[in-house]
Amino acid sequence: MKRILAYAVAVVASVFFLYPYLWMLVSSFRTTAAVLRDPLRLWPERFDLSGFASILQMGDLSLLRATVNSLAITGASTALAVLATALGAYAMTRCPRALAFRLLRYGFLMTMMYPYMLLVIPVYIVVYKLGLLGGYSGIVLFLAVGPIQFFLFEQFFRTLPAEVIEAATIDGAGEAAILFRVVLPMARPVVATVAIITFLLNWAQWFPVLVISTDSDTWTLPVALLNVNGELGTNFQGIMALAVVTTIPVALLFLAAQRQVMQGMTEGAVKG
Amino acid sequence: MRMSSLPRRGLLTGLLAAPLAAHGQAAQQLTVWHDLGDNGTKWFAAVSAEFAKSHPGVTLRATSYPTDQWFGRVVGALNTDTAPDLIFNNYERVIRIAAQTGKVMDLKDVLAGIADKAFLSEDDLRVATYDGRMIILPVQRVQMGFGVRKSWLDRVGEPFPATWEDTMRVAQKFRDGHPDGDPGSKVFAFGLEAAQPRDLIHMLDLFIFGAGLRNTLIDPQGNIVVDEPQHARVLEEFLKTYTTYRFVSPDTINYSFGEMYQVIEGGKAGMFRVGDWNVGKWDGPAVLGGDFVVGAWPKFFADRQNGVVIGGMRGIAVPENSPHKDLAIAFAGFMLTQPAQQASLAMMGAAVRKDLDVAGLSPRQQAFARPAWALHAYDFPESIHPFYPQLEAAYHRKLLEAIARPPADWQPFIAATAQEMRVLGKQLAEKKI
Amino acid sequence: MSEALVASPPPLAGGGRGEGWRLLRAWRRDSVFYLFAIPFAALTIVFGLWPIVLSVITSFTASASALKPVPVYVGLANYAAILRDPVFFASLGLTLLYAVLAVAANLGVALAYALLLDSPPLAGGRGFFKLAMFLPVVTPDVAGYVVWRWLYDQSFGALNAFLHLAGLPAFGGVASPATAMLAVLVAELWHHAGFYAVIFLANLAICERALEEAADIDGARTWQKFLYVVLPQLRPAIVINLVYALIQFLKTFTVVVVMTKGGPSGATNFLSYYAYQFFDQARYGEATAMATVLFAIVLLVATTVYALGERRRA
Repeated sequence: MKRILAYAVAVVASVFFLYPYLWMLVSSFRTTAAVLRDPLRLWPERFDLSGFASILQMGDLSLLRATVNSLAITGASTALAVLATALGAYAMTRCPRALAFRLLRYGFLMTMMYPYMLLVIPVYIVVYKLGLLGGYSGIVLFLAVGPIQFFLFEQFFRTLPAEVIEAATIDGAGEAAILFRVVLPMARPVVATVAIITFLLNWAQWFPVLVISTDSDTWTLPVALLNVNGELGTNFQGIMALAVVTTIPVALLFLAAQRQVMQGMTEGAVKG
Repeated sequence: MRMSSLPRRGLLTGLLAAPLAAHGQAAQQLTVWHDLGDNGTKWFAAVSAEFAKSHPGVTLRATSYPTDQWFGRVVGALNTDTAPDLIFNNYERVIRIAAQTGKVMDLKDVLAGIADKAFLSEDDLRVATYDGRMIILPVQRVQMGFGVRKSWLDRVGEPFPATWEDTMRVAQKFRDGHPDGDPGSKVFAFGLEAAQPRDLIHMLDLFIFGAGLRNTLIDPQGNIVVDEPQHARVLEEFLKTYTTYRFVSPDTINYSFGEMYQVIEGGKAGMFRVGDWNVGKWDGPAVLGGDFVVGAWPKFFADRQNGVVIGGMRGIAVPENSPHKDLAIAFAGFMLTQPAQQASLAMMGAAVRKDLDVAGLSPRQQAFARPAWALHAYDFPESIHPFYPQLEAAYHRKLLEAIARPPADWQPFIAATAQEMRVLGKQLAEKKI
Repeated sequence: MSEALVASPPPLAGGGRGEGWRLLRAWRRDSVFYLFAIPFAALTIVFGLWPIVLSVITSFTASASALKPVPVYVGLANYAAILRDPVFFASLGLTLLYAVLAVAANLGVALAYALLLDSPPLAGGRGFFKLAMFLPVVTPDVAGYVVWRWLYDQSFGALNAFLHLAGLPAFGGVASPATAMLAVLVAELWHHAGFYAVIFLANLAICERALEEAADIDGARTWQKFLYVVLPQLRPAIVINLVYALIQFLKTFTVVVVMTKGGPSGATNFLSYYAYQFFDQARYGEATAMATVLFAIVLLVATTVYALGERRRA
């Protein structure tokens, strides 16, 4: 029956997606020797918490501090990204023929195409010239632009029915009023989607945090993960434990939000 | 949901700003950037506590970066005058910083001003000097020995291997004889690395210098030594270890230090490099439980003494644009004093002073601290030839090709590779001049 | 396309003076939009374009002086140098090949899976499957690839242990030059496919069921329905995903750093990684020259696709 086949495929795919994560979770409770001896175990022999204990304090960075940094930086950059990108994309879809906007769109696309890892020194120099080294601001600003946010907003604003705008204009509303009182309420589902996707993507970012921070006070969880592996020794359990800790908040967020996001998109379609 | 993040951010930055501001008003704080990880940071904390006794109100903030990030950060910081007070790393890495920025202070006069320095030999000072300037104060002489699993040796009935023939015999027994007592498990004779140039060539360096030879690829005069008879022999055996002999895991070609450590610490390798910094962890119950013996690298030639390799010299450097330069210089000098060096030995496994108390160390740590074996110092070719990193990368590529697709006959391969290196070396030397 | 959505000048008040007013009001109308776009433009220019400009400028300097206050400019010497480098061309070829394969695989799998999840037979449990597929996306890539590295291990890896149990031949994983690219591709697919699938799903959610039902009534077969009804409506998602995936996979970097270091023997030595290694050798001029070449390629490919997607819309 078609149904059984569909479920079978979905289950196999889910095993593919979930197994590495399960492996990570189980390994965080086992020793390296155990993992190498018996890689296929689905459950740890015993719950060895030393991996988790070792990451509570990593040098002069506490796990708590790293988590707070992650939350603050991701939250702030998400809010800023949604605001700036929504405004920008809206403006650009309302005046697509403006030369400045055409240039801006291409410029924006270009920024996504450069291999970012080779920008360590230029980014450092730029942030230094702005006086934003260390602290959250530089990092938040850097993370506030992303391609997917722009594309989603742009697509949505393009599909806005013209009648709505016309009606508001005829009623004598100024552009600002149109945007904030008419368009944005309609855009709520897209805003939610973009916000959630931005949060999920920015959470995992390590590059700007590592470059712009002047010490480990502003390090986030992914940066701590990168730093656990040093030349002088490796903490396999710690890496797995930290990976688990880093993933759980965003996994929960996704779980809570995905229903809302999907619902929002569907509702948007019905209204439109 | 999104709206609530704004007030939360405001609250958080407010909460965090307060203690940070208070901290800024305290007395002087020095910053040091290193790549030694947690242990390094703890060691700096111990040293700064001692330093504060004679310099009250001075604190030290040590931050560790992954090595490749450390490079980019330090170069960027020194070039934009946002340098930390101090930087700490291996000699050859500080060389690159000095070459890139030209902003590493010459510490010759500082060292001249330090009375208590008899433990620093001419060799030590040579691996602290670059281009006529003393770019680091040498703080840790880093030894790398040849380690073998003790219980495995016992099980196959062999003593610690002295010559390469012994080593091969032991390796074969490790490969085939289930030395860990578990017939179902897969183990390997050697735990090595190969992925990056400084992984594979570093392993080769250990075998070459350990066997008593000088120079792995190029000598100080600029001659390629790869195909000299003794060098070629070691190289051939080395490459066969990775290939024909099946002494290492087939994945080794991709291993860097992370994976190598996991194999060693996971109990899957019989013979491996033991650095003086590894002993502390590997003596512990969670890892190898001290089940390993450290000694000199295998002897290849009757006329060459084998020994343990001094693979590195770590030192402290002061950027020219260090924010608290005088204090930084004082701290740098302090790192050579007894208390700082004692902490270095205890926490990092290495030091330069010879008068330290070793009673509190484990037997293996003592073996490093009071070496009874011959010591061969690495020659740091990048301090002599600026083009060395590029040459080494090309050499690494050739060797990796051979490991991925081993030739039937190694001698022609070695001869051909040596020729290519000669041609490349000449081109690089001329371009740079 | 909603023409009226585009800001257009309001009807004339009348006469020559009205002409001036019209233009003024048109500019005033547009200026609001310029205002709206300022934060976005500022961020893009300062944090996006400026570092790139600096980097491109570096590609015209001599490596040894690249980061000094007064660098030495050498024109196109760095570009000439990399064009003389056979490894550069090998790397370029590998990068292009991998990008094509990865984009095809990721988008194909993502589309197929999205269609599956959206289809009626899978009414219940959809949430679970979506979570499963998205979990790898939110796993920090560093950690995820460390796990995959170990899953592929020839001696200690779960994959080969499993294949051994099932009586199948071992998979070379990242230890063999022949299979390394495939191994990397699968690991990246694991990490990225869920993301593209979510975009497809979002697009599917606003597809009009009525059209599909009409096609059913007309007696259309499944593949016809797919090709002529569903696929055209998925254009937005396809364009977004295609551009995004091309950019993503041409720049492949993290997976190489964690899993293969460009190996074995250069089998996965993609351009981003090769250029990054030059940093270690302090050859900044050549590294940024390679980055600029890669950048130019990505620019060309991505804007072409984007423009094609845009044009066919109107």
